[in-house]
Amino acid sequence: MFLALRELRAAKGRFALMGCVVVLIAALVGIVSGFTTGLGDDTVSALRRLPATHIAFSGDARTDQFARSLVDSRTAAGWGAEKGVQATPMGVSITRGSTGRGVPVDLAAFGVDPGSFLAPRVESGAGLRPGGDGVVISRQIADDGVRVGDTIVIDRLGIRLPVLGVTGRSSYGHVPVGYMPLGTWQRIRFSVPGAAGAGAAPPGQYSAVALRAGGGAVLGAADERLGTRTLARDEAFAAAPGYSGERITMNSILLFLYLIAPLVVGAFFAVWTVQRQPELALLRALGAARRRLLAHTLVQAATVVVASTLVGAGLAAGAGLALGSAVPFSLPLTTLLGTVAAVTAAGLAGTALTLRRVTSADPLTMLGGNR
Amino acid sequence: MTLRLEDVTVVHGKGDAENRVLDGLDVEFASGGLTAVVGPSGSGKSTLLAVAGALLRPASGRVLLDGTDLAALNDAQRARIRRERIGYMFQSGNLLPNFTAVDQILTVAHLTGRRPGRHRARAEELLEAVGLAHRRGHRPEQLSGGERQRVALARALFLDPPLLLVDEPTAAVDRGQAGALTGLLVETAERQDCIVVVATHDPVVADAAGRVVDMARLTAMST
Repeated sequence: MFLALRELRAAKGRFALMGCVVVLIAALVGIVSGFTTGLGDDTVSALRRLPATHIAFSGDARTDQFARSLVDSRTAAGWGAEKGVQATPMGVSITRGSTGRGVPVDLAAFGVDPGSFLAPRVESGAGLRPGGDGVVISRQIADDGVRVGDTIVIDRLGIRLPVLGVTGRSSYGHVPVGYMPLGTWQRIRFSVPGAAGAGAAPPGQYSAVALRAGGGAVLGAADERLGTRTLARDEAFAAAPGYSGERITMNSILLFLYLIAPLVVGAFFAVWTVQRQPELALLRALGAARRRLLAHTLVQAATVVVASTLVGAGLAAGAGLALGSAVPFSLPLTTLLGTVAAVTAAGLAGTALTLRRVTSADPLTMLGGNR
Repeated sequence: MTLRLEDVTVVHGKGDAENRVLDGLDVEFASGGLTAVVGPSGSGKSTLLAVAGALLRPASGRVLLDGTDLAALNDAQRARIRRERIGYMFQSGNLLPNFTAVDQILTVAHLTGRRPGRHRARAEELLEAVGLAHRRGHRPEQLSGGERQRVALARALFLDPPLLLVDEPTAAVDRGQAGALTGLLVETAERQDCIVVVATHDPVVADAAGRVVDMARLTAMST
């Protein structure tokens, strides 16, 4: 520590410059992580909240399943009859409307059976009633000014949805969710604006069947028999619109940042090590053990990288607080700590690239006026 | 306390570029006086210091410091001998830039696993002994060539080493400083009763030495 700290103090300008670069990289990684988590939540938090283990889609839907898949009542009933499986149909579609007070509402309509395990828990107001009508809105819609007792009228279809209650934050495809009975959802999903016979009963079809499968359930055989394709709930996130593309984009940015971080830190320490080869050679000539020189370099690197990463992470957290709910940004403590750990590891990995030069300083250069 | 080089050969380069800098050299140094190693450039003065100081392992021969063969030690063992038993004064002092005079000395404490903070008094005592107590907080760029050499001497003496190796101490100082520095080295050799070997071109140093080893003559004798 003696040598490391004295060198840090002596070359504080250079180390501060390096620290600023690491601060910016850590802040950028933190902010991108925040957006990755936030966008992910904004896309699939409603699916993540589903108290289901699997989702069964129609067998012909291979991509964007929540939009493409349609299963009928017989399929849903078939799943319900499976041993070790609880099943309930669900509907998912995106629509829009407005309240009588003129508040516009974008709505991810989730059709659920009010008596099933998918029925939402309400934070305020009342829940869905079997055989009734109405909608339980997620917290974001309430934050936009929609209140219990308002009525949301779906654009062009004129379907009226009395707001019964409010549940927690829940989104699908960046649109806040409204939970409604399956019949109401089917009217929204299958009605054609302005078509003759708009009042006719909609087809008994749903987007998918939500399953709660026990350990012994054999889903593959049921899939084959019922003509469905079942995904684990977390796998079904990819069925949400844009989810995979967003993840690939954001993770690519993160990947590049994690590649850049060690290279930048490594380049700095490589130049720093080359510059102080004479000092390292002198220390070797004075009998410094290679291990001590390595520790000395690592202490310097760790001091700069850890301190700068913590500042950068603090900046990212501050950016999150400043942004509030204006954008989909979420940086929970675990993600923040993960960011700190990853940037620190990347930075130290960059330093490791230079360590061979530290130990290979030649003490012989101290003699014969070589310096 | 003795330092003996027995049949020491050092070869630089390979093939056509091979150069036998030392070839079967035998020489012995004793404590209590200053030995000047003189000779023209390329005669092997610095190589002799490198071998004697465990910085360079000879191709063959033995380097016995008080009975321990330095040539037979591995890299880590030679580093340990260097930091615990050998003091060095390199040309121009070779101090750590940005370190104060007192920190230069405390660096040796750190390298030998001691807590530098506990040895500040000893470091200041050494600076006083070389006449630089008032310069303890100065960095190398704030010191003259002679002062740098004195700091290097104080650093070399921190552990009272039995062997002090000095490379061209007067190369970068004026006549007056050269004389003062030489006097300090002679005094150190006598007071510390250690082996002091000085590689030099400077007749001032050679004249003050109790013994002069002429590398040109030694090399001729060994070949």
